[in-house]
Amino acid sequence: MSEIWAWLGDLGNSKVLALLIFFTTFVGIVLYVYTGKQRKERLESYKNIPFIDDEDKNPASKHGDQ
Amino acid sequence: MTTSTAVATEQYNYDIVKKFAIMALVWGVLGMTAGVWIASELAWPFLNFDVAEITFGRLRPVHTTLVIFGFGGSALFATSYYIVQRTCQARLWGGKWLPEFTFWGWQVGVGGGVLLYMLGFTQGREYAEFIWQLDLAIAVVWVTYTLIFVMTLLNRSQPHIYVANWFFIAFLLVIALLHIFNNLAVPVAWNSLESYSLFSGVQDAMTQWWYGHNAVGFFLTAAFLGMMYYFVPKQAGRPVYSYRLSIVHFWALSFLYMWAGTHHLHWTAIPDWTSTLAATFSILLLLPSWGGMINGIMTLSGAWDKLRTDPIMLFMITSLSFYGMSTFEGPLMSLKSVNALSHYTDWTVGHVHSGALGWVAMITFGSFYHLIPRLWGAKGMYSTSMIYTHFWLATIGIVLYIAALWVAGIGQGLMLRAFDEYGNLAYTFIETVTFMHLPYAVRAIGGMFFVAGILVMVYNVYMTIASTKRGVAVHVAGQAAVAR
Amino acid sequence: MKHESIEINAGLLIILTLVVVSIGGLVEIVPLFHIKDTVEEVKGVRPYTPLEQRGRDLYIREGCYACHSQMIRPFRDEMLRYGHYSLAAESKYDHPFQWASKRTGPDIARLGGKYSDEWHTQHLIRPQNVVPESIMPPYPWLLKNELAYGDIENRMKALKMTGVPYSLSEDEYQANVAEHGKEMADKLHIPNARATLEAEANGRNLDGDKSRITEMDAMVAYLQALGTMVDFKQYEQGYFANFR
Repeated sequence: MSEIWAWLGDLGNSKVLALLIFFTTFVGIVLYVYTGKQRKERLESYKNIPFIDDEDKNPASKHGDQ
Repeated sequence: MTTSTAVATEQYNYDIVKKFAIMALVWGVLGMTAGVWIASELAWPFLNFDVAEITFGRLRPVHTTLVIFGFGGSALFATSYYIVQRTCQARLWGGKWLPEFTFWGWQVGVGGGVLLYMLGFTQGREYAEFIWQLDLAIAVVWVTYTLIFVMTLLNRSQPHIYVANWFFIAFLLVIALLHIFNNLAVPVAWNSLESYSLFSGVQDAMTQWWYGHNAVGFFLTAAFLGMMYYFVPKQAGRPVYSYRLSIVHFWALSFLYMWAGTHHLHWTAIPDWTSTLAATFSILLLLPSWGGMINGIMTLSGAWDKLRTDPIMLFMITSLSFYGMSTFEGPLMSLKSVNALSHYTDWTVGHVHSGALGWVAMITFGSFYHLIPRLWGAKGMYSTSMIYTHFWLATIGIVLYIAALWVAGIGQGLMLRAFDEYGNLAYTFIETVTFMHLPYAVRAIGGMFFVAGILVMVYNVYMTIASTKRGVAVHVAGQAAVAR
Repeated sequence: MKHESIEINAGLLIILTLVVVSIGGLVEIVPLFHIKDTVEEVKGVRPYTPLEQRGRDLYIREGCYACHSQMIRPFRDEMLRYGHYSLAAESKYDHPFQWASKRTGPDIARLGGKYSDEWHTQHLIRPQNVVPESIMPPYPWLLKNELAYGDIENRMKALKMTGVPYSLSEDEYQANVAEHGKEMADKLHIPNARATLEAEANGRNLDGDKSRITEMDAMVAYLQALGTMVDFKQYEQGYFANFR
């Protein structure tokens, strides 16, 4: 266990590791976001949230005109 | 997804939004006027008038604090309180008094802070000059603000949290972290207004620019992106270009920004590796920045004609263009070779203002022109042509400002590193000061244009609000006309 | 974990955002507190004397950092203009650091000893009297205001808490004697603070007025100390490059 910490304590190692972890996470997010037809529709449906509530017309039916 | 049926003005707490919106304009006028004043002091030094309270050194933090925390901060309180309610269809949490506390706390903090700077009480840390007692008070206000925001989110009427709120959450959390760690200090005495920073030298410099850079990243960028992700679609009347892009935008921006602060310390006594790391991340930062800009601008795709007919849209799209420009200029200046020339010169000041005036102020103006009529129940702004006037005054002001400081900064940078044929320095420092007189004068004039613009806005807002007070009379008059 | 759960769970969103934004700061700042090479070992750097420290307080009060940097970069032009590039060790007792970010006026990291005390006094009263093209504001009140130093012990104690080696106990005093010599150690001894401040101000007569101790005395004392602590002749050329 202590060897792992020693290995991590060396900045040369930990920064490469950090880079790998975060790059993988980033690629994961991008893949998640941009794959799957259903997911696409679900995610893109959220963009209408600002239009749900109010005096402004729903953009789907009518492009706003104030 | 449910559609709300209640009347917005009753369902939501608009009172607190109105208060913050008005104070944003008040601090905006004061802070930008202070900016014009100190810019003029550099061009015409007699304006210091031998009065300690208004010398450049004491007024400069007054200017930065008023525009960043007074104007920008109040605008963010107003819009975040509005957006979180409207996108969650939930009334602001905390009853009447907790939001009210954040209002008075923030205004007293900003107002008291700048008065104390003029009297000579400051921590001497850029953009964190507030004395330690105010730092503590601001921390309490900030925690309350965060609590109100998050509790309102938890009361939302549908499962998904709209992306604008993500940006506000990042802003709330990061500013809390930055504020607390950067202001660690030991007071001279419990009843003294003065204190000494806990860290010194290299460590203090790193902490301060970790703060300074990320205050730009999360206060002046992420939070205003939250504003953008709500008001641009609303004003355009169409949803944001790509919701999926906004998700990637959020995570990339949040992660990358935090690494870049050290580019403010290139070539100083900090270890070289931190510098290189910061420069690398600064370049990477271009990607999410431009992703966000494209997402905002492309929201208008297919409806570009709005730019010809809607001055509010013009404000918003121009602000995104300036955002794109300054987030390109930033990474460029973070390259160590470019930074060697640009650092310590007015190029940096110009860069900050292309972001602060072009992006932060313009997106705020655009959002406010959308927001104000809705808050006070007016049909629209009092005068559309005044919005155009404001737009052109602001744009001309910014262009004059940035161009003048490019000349001043790059010019001075080149003069300072010039050698004559014998290998001696070609110019003394004071010769570069003389050279900068003209650009400084032009910069001050640019600032005056910008202030003139916000004054037009204030009048327009005043008349809009006043017209709603007279609204009843107008309504009656209209009915009479119809009857006749 | 599904991203969907982040989108709908405010708590999770908060925690993940915190994780993501903390990494950068941790990786860049924390090592600076541990890595030995961050601040080089160099002889001569000492805490400011009580009078100099009061001058530094005034420097901060007036916001001098808005226009003057205290950080010379390792470039040929800067070293010709200002002197040897600044070392990390030279600001290790600076709470807060005053490297600053803008040079509307020149860098003053090595201002000490370049001009006479009288020049500084005249320059601060009205910069244009000695540099006609200067755009620096005048600071005539520094000469009018008596220096407030009633709380100097508290100030030094606060600085001591942050790690500046001012002495309270005999042991600490002796350590300073060993490090900086008896004369300087006396000035860094907190119980002596008021007396040494008065002695330094009157002895050096910085502002040209012996009858009073003014803010000018303190300010000039501070400016004259800037960048003078390290004797660069003692070190071989290139020695400091090892620490960059």
